[in-house]
Amino acid sequence: MQYLPQLIVSGTVIGMIYAVIAFGYQLTFATSKTLNFGQGEALTLGALVGLSLVWWLMSLGFGAGWAFMLMLPAVLVFGMVQGAVVESLGVRQAMKNKSEAGWIMATIALGIIFKNLAENIWGRDALKFPSPMPETSLTFGSIRIQPMEIAIIIGALAMMLAVELFNRRSIFGKAVVATANDRDAAGLMGINTSLVITFSYALSSMAAAFAGVLVAPITLTGAAMGAVLGLKAFAVAIIGGLSSGLGVVVGGLLLGITETMVGYYFSTGYKEVPGLILLLLVLSFKPSGLFGKATIKKV
Amino acid sequence: MNLNKIALALAASTILTGMPLSSAYAADPIKIGLSGPFTGGSSSMGVSMRDGVKLAVEEINKAGGVLGRPILLVERDDEAKNEIGVQVSQELINKEGVVATLGYINTGVSLASQRFYQEAEIPVINNVATGTLITKQFPAPDNKANYIFRNAAPDSIQSKMIAEEAIKRQGFKKPAILSDSTNYGQLGKTDLTAALSTLSVAPVAVEKFNVGDTDMTAQVLRAKEAGADVILTYAIGPELAQIANAMAKLGWKVPLIGSWTLSMASFIDTAGANGDGAMMPETFIQAPTTPKRKAFIAAYQAAYKIDRMPSPVSAAQGYDSVYLLAAAIKQAGDTDGRKIREALENLNEKVEGVVTTYDHPFSAADHEAISANIPVFGLVKGGRVVPAHPEDLEGANALRVKPKG
Repeated sequence: MQYLPQLIVSGTVIGMIYAVIAFGYQLTFATSKTLNFGQGEALTLGALVGLSLVWWLMSLGFGAGWAFMLMLPAVLVFGMVQGAVVESLGVRQAMKNKSEAGWIMATIALGIIFKNLAENIWGRDALKFPSPMPETSLTFGSIRIQPMEIAIIIGALAMMLAVELFNRRSIFGKAVVATANDRDAAGLMGINTSLVITFSYALSSMAAAFAGVLVAPITLTGAAMGAVLGLKAFAVAIIGGLSSGLGVVVGGLLLGITETMVGYYFSTGYKEVPGLILLLLVLSFKPSGLFGKATIKKV
Repeated sequence: MNLNKIALALAASTILTGMPLSSAYAADPIKIGLSGPFTGGSSSMGVSMRDGVKLAVEEINKAGGVLGRPILLVERDDEAKNEIGVQVSQELINKEGVVATLGYINTGVSLASQRFYQEAEIPVINNVATGTLITKQFPAPDNKANYIFRNAAPDSIQSKMIAEEAIKRQGFKKPAILSDSTNYGQLGKTDLTAALSTLSVAPVAVEKFNVGDTDMTAQVLRAKEAGADVILTYAIGPELAQIANAMAKLGWKVPLIGSWTLSMASFIDTAGANGDGAMMPETFIQAPTTPKRKAFIAAYQAAYKIDRMPSPVSAAQGYDSVYLLAAAIKQAGDTDGRKIREALENLNEKVEGVVTTYDHPFSAADHEAISANIPVFGLVKGGRVVPAHPEDLEGANALRVKPKG
């Protein structure tokens, strides 16, 4: 039991990364009932663009910490643009045609294109992201944690909270919520729902890009980094519920912590299994997710 | 028979045998295929290997070529993907008509591709890939001859060296094995466990992780909890760096000893100071311990305008593989695949290479040029690989030659 707190902390860090990406899935699903299956690649691109910016800023003489802070807003904007591109190229047409599967194929295809783009621009080697914070761990009792890991937890929560507040308080956010509740009615009330959907895609990719630059300093940056994370986050979104912001946080923590606990107490060879069993259980007994609202579709 | 008919007959025979018409002329270059990953996760090894090969080819061509003909390299990027490797091998054999192929970094690509050479009776010299199976894919009773050669240290040698270094030389008693879930990692883990058991030691923990895993806390904690005093690894650069970083994060420091991938730039650069002290078997360390090595390092640095070679082992083995092949072609007096294979299996010329001096390196039964006494342990120190035990490379020990037998 000596290592239990350490395992929970490590699981929390990875869980928060899953949660931020899953939060992105949830944003677009709420407004348009579609998902960006290229979410992992949005994360990759965000991290790589962030890396190039950090390199450039550091070559101008900024320290790693300042370079990171200055790079953040630019990467968030880049993420938003990238998300808007995905929506306009991949999703809008499919929704217009009322195509059930068109957006699935289109977002997967765009994801592959983005990955190839990243491979050609940044190569396929894993690159080291300069850490904005000291890399020596802090010790709290029996727990050791890197400053960057603390920043991940705080940053992830702050970003999700900011988006939730924006949706609940601002007038534009109300349009988002209205579209999420009933797209047709919102359209009749004069809300430009297609713009709202574009915006939700922009926010979704922004969340992914943010997750990318958060996780990059504690792992490695490369064209392949998003694939596994994107998939895990998808499981988190299903477990937590695609209609609940709180759900993805709980789902992320659940998956992250079970993974490290099973890895330690049972076997590292089966680390991934319990999370997937959890996914199957949720799908069988509460398909809308642990925190999801069951939707009744009236025909 | 008039001239037209001769030309026609020649053209027909060309079509039938699939050999390019031009190879009939003596002054034409000898085409040698080169297959390796020049982009992607293993590209630091692939590019170093290619650069070593190119260096040797330039030297040979400057000295007049082989059989009076220059060598022409046909380079193809196999992207470390089995299916691309297969395409490349077919292109090199059928379209380019190469007389032999050098290369392969990835065991999987090598195993998938080289059957085409075996069928076409064209020799392959694997100069980097380490899978034990590589030279044993086409064993004797079922195949008349084996066209697959290697001048890299196979995993069976490496795992044995790792076990002996950890247990015998350094006296560790409780090794933990950390390996990735790929073929490379899992086959290596099996080899390592076997090598440990011959020293009557059982690993206290055997942990696994996936390529791309971001968190190694559980694996490292399990090894720590089991009381491991050394960690033996079989994985590739990025995940090895994650292990070193996780150990540093958890404030636990035991030595890392593992396969030669611990010398990959992606490990050394991304683990930074956390990777210092990691040890791995190396056939070549960037240190001028013999005149040949000194000349090779200087030539490489001048040709590619760098100080640190990205993967010195790959570069040296790539360089040596060209000289081995050139010697065989010279001895065969011909570019026919069968004759080159026969010459390789009974190479009379002593080939002075960077890794070792090759004196009858191959025989019909043994296609491995590197024997267990050749590699020495390297140690990561300040972003470079240096000899772990300098005495291993001093004086008479510097040049280690495969024992006759």
